[in-house]
Amino acid sequence: MDEIRNFCIIAHIDHGKSTLADRLIQHCGAVDERKFRDQILDSMDIERERGITIKSNTITLSYKASDGKTYQLNLIDTPGHVDFSHEVRRSLMSCEGAILLIDASQGVEAQTVANLYLAMEFDLEILPVINKIDLISADIERAKEEIEADLGLDPEDAILCSAKEGTGIDELLEAIVQRLPAPEGDAEAPPRALLFDAAYDPYRGVVLACRVKDGALRAGRTIRLMNTGKEHEVEEVGLLGLQRKPMPELGTGSVGYVLAGIKTVRDVEVGDTITEAERPATEALPGYKEAKSVVFSSIYPMATDEYVELVKALDKLVLNDAALTFEKDSSVALGHGFRCGFLGLLHLEVVQERLRREYGLSLVLSAPSVRYRVTLENGEVCSVDNPSFYPDPSTIAGCEEPFIKGSVLIPERYIGAVMELCRERRGVETNFNYLAAKRVELTSELPLADVLFDFYDRLKTITQGYGSFDYEMLDYRETDLVKVDILINGEPVDALSQLVHRAKARPRALHYCERLAETIPRHQFKIAIQGTIGGSIIARTNVQALRKDVTAKCYGGDITRKRKLLEKQKAGKKRMKTIGSVDIPQSAFVAVLKTDTDS
Amino acid sequence: MSEEPAGLYFHIPFCSRICPYCDFAVRTGDRARRRRFVDHLLAEIELHDGQALRFDTIYFGGGTPSSLLPEEIGQILDAVRRRFRFEDDVRIFVEVNPEDVTAETVTAWRGLGVHTLSLGIQALNADGLKFLGRLHDVDQARHSVDLARDAGFDTVAIDLIYGLPGQTASDWRAELDRALALPAQHFSCYQLTIHPRTRFSLLEKRGELTQLPVDEQGELFRLTHRYLNDAGMQGYEVSQFARAPAHRSRHNLKYWNHTPYLGLGPAAHSFHERRRWWNYRRTNPWQEAILQGKLPVEGEERLDTRALVLEALMTGFRTYAGVDLSGIRSRWGVDLQVTDSALINRLHSEGLLSLADDRLVPTLEGLALADSISPMFGAAFDVTP
Repeated sequence: MDEIRNFCIIAHIDHGKSTLADRLIQHCGAVDERKFRDQILDSMDIERERGITIKSNTITLSYKASDGKTYQLNLIDTPGHVDFSHEVRRSLMSCEGAILLIDASQGVEAQTVANLYLAMEFDLEILPVINKIDLISADIERAKEEIEADLGLDPEDAILCSAKEGTGIDELLEAIVQRLPAPEGDAEAPPRALLFDAAYDPYRGVVLACRVKDGALRAGRTIRLMNTGKEHEVEEVGLLGLQRKPMPELGTGSVGYVLAGIKTVRDVEVGDTITEAERPATEALPGYKEAKSVVFSSIYPMATDEYVELVKALDKLVLNDAALTFEKDSSVALGHGFRCGFLGLLHLEVVQERLRREYGLSLVLSAPSVRYRVTLENGEVCSVDNPSFYPDPSTIAGCEEPFIKGSVLIPERYIGAVMELCRERRGVETNFNYLAAKRVELTSELPLADVLFDFYDRLKTITQGYGSFDYEMLDYRETDLVKVDILINGEPVDALSQLVHRAKARPRALHYCERLAETIPRHQFKIAIQGTIGGSIIARTNVQALRKDVTAKCYGGDITRKRKLLEKQKAGKKRMKTIGSVDIPQSAFVAVLKTDTDS
Repeated sequence: MSEEPAGLYFHIPFCSRICPYCDFAVRTGDRARRRRFVDHLLAEIELHDGQALRFDTIYFGGGTPSSLLPEEIGQILDAVRRRFRFEDDVRIFVEVNPEDVTAETVTAWRGLGVHTLSLGIQALNADGLKFLGRLHDVDQARHSVDLARDAGFDTVAIDLIYGLPGQTASDWRAELDRALALPAQHFSCYQLTIHPRTRFSLLEKRGELTQLPVDEQGELFRLTHRYLNDAGMQGYEVSQFARAPAHRSRHNLKYWNHTPYLGLGPAAHSFHERRRWWNYRRTNPWQEAILQGKLPVEGEERLDTRALVLEALMTGFRTYAGVDLSGIRSRWGVDLQVTDSALINRLHSEGLLSLADDRLVPTLEGLALADSISPMFGAAFDVTP
């Protein structure tokens, strides 16, 4: 146990987390130079492109320290977005220490503070590292001052490095060994391991990533997942390298994988405690929290003949995305599809992107919705997350919507702007307190529905990137809900219907009408786009008729070229949804969901 | 089915200067080069089987056919008369630039049996001519029309370009008045189109040229048709107007009716039955092939029924005569009245077309939307490729 160190790297986005991870991996010889590619741990294209980590990845490194001993260093990667905060928490629970990465040119930023507090919540030993010291704009002294003033850490403890150039990496590895604590646990006790991640391997089934807190896990034994009660026989245990490395056992304090012939990630719940069936622990480890869908949206294939492909793709996707839920749904306008549940908007986007890139599917999504609780006159209570199933308003006695407690960490100069944003989003009980000089934590109780639409983006914009946001579900509160329908030339487009607070109905409807008017191409007739509540029009835009579309010349040489152009147009039209006689491009369904900075 | 007489086209790529709007296969070239070109063209004629088709039109386009000497045109005509079969009433069309029109040249062309002289006037105001990069002035333009009329051509045709940046409806109406005052029996009025890889497209990218907004283009388009029809210059296609049916371009109609045509010279296209093929666009590979005794064909396509019907719709909706439903039925076995009846009713109710004598006839509004309307058809038989 003394030769094990479990740690993570926490950093503001862009401060070089992935590069540092790459460098540590390289330094410990875990990867062949030839096979080296940047941002090894960010295995999904989307992650690499957006510079965010969505799925946790963990790697065990072997490091021979200056004291002559060889240490097992477990680098536990953490996702960097609020949608995945439960994953962050689970990852942190598996560590004893954290490298707090600070960009020498940027200094301490909001997320750095947020991450620090999160790490401290889990009693992690913090190792401050000032990265990017090679930059011309690097200001190490200022970074050190900020470490002291804003974070309350001793700047003299900070290690200077440039992950890009590879400088300071040896010092960092030594500091990990010397300054981060070794894990503790009872080796003799019944085994308890925290399941912090589960991934799907098409050949071996589900790969459980876990941190052994007490006892040990061995191949051939039967394990029990304490929360679900399910039992599985362990086929193999080992360390997570870039390839898996089988071991006879995973001892106390170590981090590794377990293969137990589990078919899909749905059969396990991340956060669960693994124990042994024959010698079970009496108490599960804390921290289990069910990943709950909070955002719902219907997904339809752009071309109806791609439905079967969508079914297959979703079935595959959930093998390694336990948080995604889906059930059949259908729309008059868009045909058969699925009602899906997501952890948040980013999760929704990630799923959409994966379906597009990995499965080549072109999709239409309906407006994301939260789950409302509707009480009918007859006393019956039902949950509604799909506008199509919204009961007849005359039968409704009352509605409730989910509220969250949002927590924003910001430099004090943004208090006013963020309070205004919370007010716009119907936030109540908005308060703030100083965490340190000029550092403020602002909390507000907000309806989740109003946070779904671009709240995070807006927060980033108004705080120039300094604002970080986290939230937890609070409760359900009474609300004045209406169903807004969108009509195109008099025909309702069910996939564009949505449930909104009455006060937001008109601006939302107008936003939809305007976006649609911008994205629907001109037809040879005028197109009226209307937003309505129960038949009364609350917003309206038009797409003017196109009255000229003909090329001047069409002779011998033009005919083939022109026909090919028209054939392309025709193919393009097939990728559109026709409502009435209006062709609506997929981009229109996407545009309505886009940030509206005016609102 | 006894085939309609075919059209014979010659592409003469030379221009003394490349116009900034032109995306045709054009080039400059000195006298010696032009002479060599004619020799190659004569050789190309000899590569063809003269018996496959019977022609009733010969069209010299370009480029600028008047960049050749009249006697060179005469040599080409002599060669084709020897090689190919012709109907008795064959008609000959030549495109010329106003600056090449003199008392001598018109006499020479007339002497070669040319029926229609098509003059690249393009504009009848100094600013317009300058903008379009033309080498002639307004007086030369007028004078060339008079000379052509005096020489006794059956049809004097003029080309005009409208929709220039900043052009207003009253500017264009005044221009049309000037044109109507000329002794020409045929107008081609082309809306300015900015093609890729032209000087205008470069200027547009640089922000130095802005096209008229599409709604204004539409206004000018409808104005052109209403105004000329009212003046007795009857429209018969999107850009074509004639004083009387006899003055219509018999040759160009072939492109729109799937009548066979044979094109010679660089970039020229040919069509027969279900095959369309085209010559090398660039002069060098074109002449290389001819020197090796091979047809200078760069590419070809076989048209399936779907493509033929789409073309028939595409070109048909551009004409006043409209889409010939019975022709499509008998030639390719597709009955659009069955496959697209709902669409036809809808377009009719939207005032874009009418159905008369087994033809889908576009209204003026429909004509202006020809490119949008044609691809709407054929959804039913489009499913199977």
